[in-house]
Amino acid sequence: MNGIITSAEREKKESKIQNGKKGLAAMAGLISVVCFFLPYITFVFKNTVYTVSAFQLATVKGFVVRGPELTGLVAVPLLTRIAVIAGVVLAVAGVLLIVFNKPVAAGTAFVISGMTPLIVLMSASAIQEAVTQLNISEISVDYLWPYIYILLGGIFCSVLSLWVRGTEKLAESMFLVFSCVSVGSVLIITIYIFAAGAPAILQIGLGNFLFGATWNADAQQFGILPLILSSIAGTVGAIVIGVPIGILTSVFLAETARPRLAKLVHPAVELLAGIPSVVYGFFGMLVIVPAIRDFPPFRDHTIGDSLLAAVIILAIMVLPTIVNVSETSLRAVPQSYREASLALGATPTITIFKVVIPAARSGILAGVILGVGRAIGETMAVIMVAGNVANMPSLLGTVRFLTTGIAMEMSYASGLHRQALFAIGLVLFVFIMIVNVSFTYISKRGVQMDAE
Amino acid sequence: MPSSSLYVKHRRPKDTALKFLINAAAAVCVVTLLGIIGYILFNGIPYITWKFISTPYSETNDEWKGILPMIINTMYIVVITLLISAPVGISSAIYLTQYAKQGRLVKAIRFTTEILSGIPSIIFGLFGYTVFCILFRLQTSILAGCLTMAICILPTVIRTTEESLLAVPGSYKEGAMALGAGKLRVVLGIVLPCAMPGVLTAVVLAMGRIVGESAALLFTSGLSYNMPKGFWEQIFASGRTLTLHLYQTAREANSPDAMNIAYATAAVLLVLVFLLNRLAGLLSRTFRKG
Repeated sequence: MNGIITSAEREKKESKIQNGKKGLAAMAGLISVVCFFLPYITFVFKNTVYTVSAFQLATVKGFVVRGPELTGLVAVPLLTRIAVIAGVVLAVAGVLLIVFNKPVAAGTAFVISGMTPLIVLMSASAIQEAVTQLNISEISVDYLWPYIYILLGGIFCSVLSLWVRGTEKLAESMFLVFSCVSVGSVLIITIYIFAAGAPAILQIGLGNFLFGATWNADAQQFGILPLILSSIAGTVGAIVIGVPIGILTSVFLAETARPRLAKLVHPAVELLAGIPSVVYGFFGMLVIVPAIRDFPPFRDHTIGDSLLAAVIILAIMVLPTIVNVSETSLRAVPQSYREASLALGATPTITIFKVVIPAARSGILAGVILGVGRAIGETMAVIMVAGNVANMPSLLGTVRFLTTGIAMEMSYASGLHRQALFAIGLVLFVFIMIVNVSFTYISKRGVQMDAE
Repeated sequence: MPSSSLYVKHRRPKDTALKFLINAAAAVCVVTLLGIIGYILFNGIPYITWKFISTPYSETNDEWKGILPMIINTMYIVVITLLISAPVGISSAIYLTQYAKQGRLVKAIRFTTEILSGIPSIIFGLFGYTVFCILFRLQTSILAGCLTMAICILPTVIRTTEESLLAVPGSYKEGAMALGAGKLRVVLGIVLPCAMPGVLTAVVLAMGRIVGESAALLFTSGLSYNMPKGFWEQIFASGRTLTLHLYQTAREANSPDAMNIAYATAAVLLVLVFLLNRLAGLLSRTFRKG
């Protein structure tokens, strides 16, 4: 019977491997638990050195820090305590779950436990900030190996415990975890933009912030009405110029052009979408701005950097978006619509404008909305042509958009000024979210219409 | 005698006007593109020399006006960002197309991917700055820029990969399964290799996006133009990419010489983007043929 493996033997072997994986996961999990009681982080505040374990982080009140003038107790943030305790509890739970044969739940517990050091890392900066307020600048934080073990060990344990159920299960879980990254990113971005932007709005007052007409950082005046109005004016202008050209071009590509000509124009539009926004800005700065400055009727009224220049550049930049989305939806219009219209005696041109475009209107609208999103969010091209003074919008005057307001001053802003910039980011984010959600809504309605 | 013919060709001024407008619009698009590309290449190409590409940059030293550090930084950012984002994006696409059952989670993933693709890069920049630079204590560094860009390009990678995975005929999968292959084997051994050109298109498109990005990197990877010393040192240090170099030199230019640097940088960028665009086009064409 040499060389022949019976199914009973095979099962035995498999369960042996399974138990091995389980044992290894439980062991690694136990080391994780032990690591919570080992030296974890070293804080060096000037001459005082604190080496603490995760357990101590959760239990001590704070660190006594002696500064040159001030001495104070720097409290450990509540978030750190919660993270540390959650980490150890979850690691213990993971070990118990794996012993009681619940590998999927154990894997989840381990991976969350492994994430807790990241939260500790984030809240460690709060400790640093608190110490800086005591006038101590020499601070350093070192992370010791148990800290890194908890991070990597958590992931290792969770992979092992999921593997108990076989490679297929492990692979599926890992694909699932990766595909949740985008959900997680959007959640974290939303939370952070709100958390960073809200304090300034609360301090300045929502009314004063949104409807204040002057932005003067030196005088601590933070009213962003000019920025909001300029952003809206720029976007509306770009849409007014870009949409007709965009829709007509998409008609050209999808309906009227000879295939060979369309094959030349299509890549051109695609390439237009690929040009970096800085290059657009550069082109605008060197060609459009001087052209506006030297245009006879405008001469003496403008320095060239103006809302008009921004509008022209933005109109060019939203073109590819509008053309691509509209072309797709024009092509999706059933051929029978066109044939019916032509059979009734309508000319091809009338057919396009009275039948095909109305049939594709929700797709075209979706393209326009996508273009609006692009225009509101564009930063670098606008910064190079708009002049960046926070004036109320006028066609030939210098203006500052929401986006450029952030980019211009971020590098040197501090205190309330910096928080106000984050608040601008919040306002912009809310604008974009409204645009995004309406795009999703409208493009879904378009799909439903096609299904009918 | 044409006048007595039954067929009278009507003149329809409205028709002609509309047709003219359609052609004019298409012409505007093409002329704008040619204008921008022509202007930048015409002014920039003469200044692209080997010396320009291979020397470091310095604001004070007139001998050092090259873009070597920016090229290296751009390459670092492209490679590291893709190393982080491509596995995540491709795995997401595999999960969405091969494993997921229609449900709340899949809806959430699709919705957030769409939202993510609509968020402007300056918001990514702000987010990357608060989270990666400050909270994770990376300061302004190439790595912080990479992490920010990794989120930025995720929707591009997911969507394009998803499309190419969906285009793989179901019969291939069924054939493999009938031969007794497990699901993972089918996905990694049949579906993914068949969709490879599409996956590569996704990667190339993402590369184009990273090369052209500026607002998200302004606060995260910073504006330093020091010559990179070593890989590990550099990714924890600040470094400007080609786009940010163009931005900075164009804004600070106060002499024709300085402006020429900006022109040449813009031309290099355009050529790069053009090449990537061609590569993506070629890849997707082989995919359609295959």
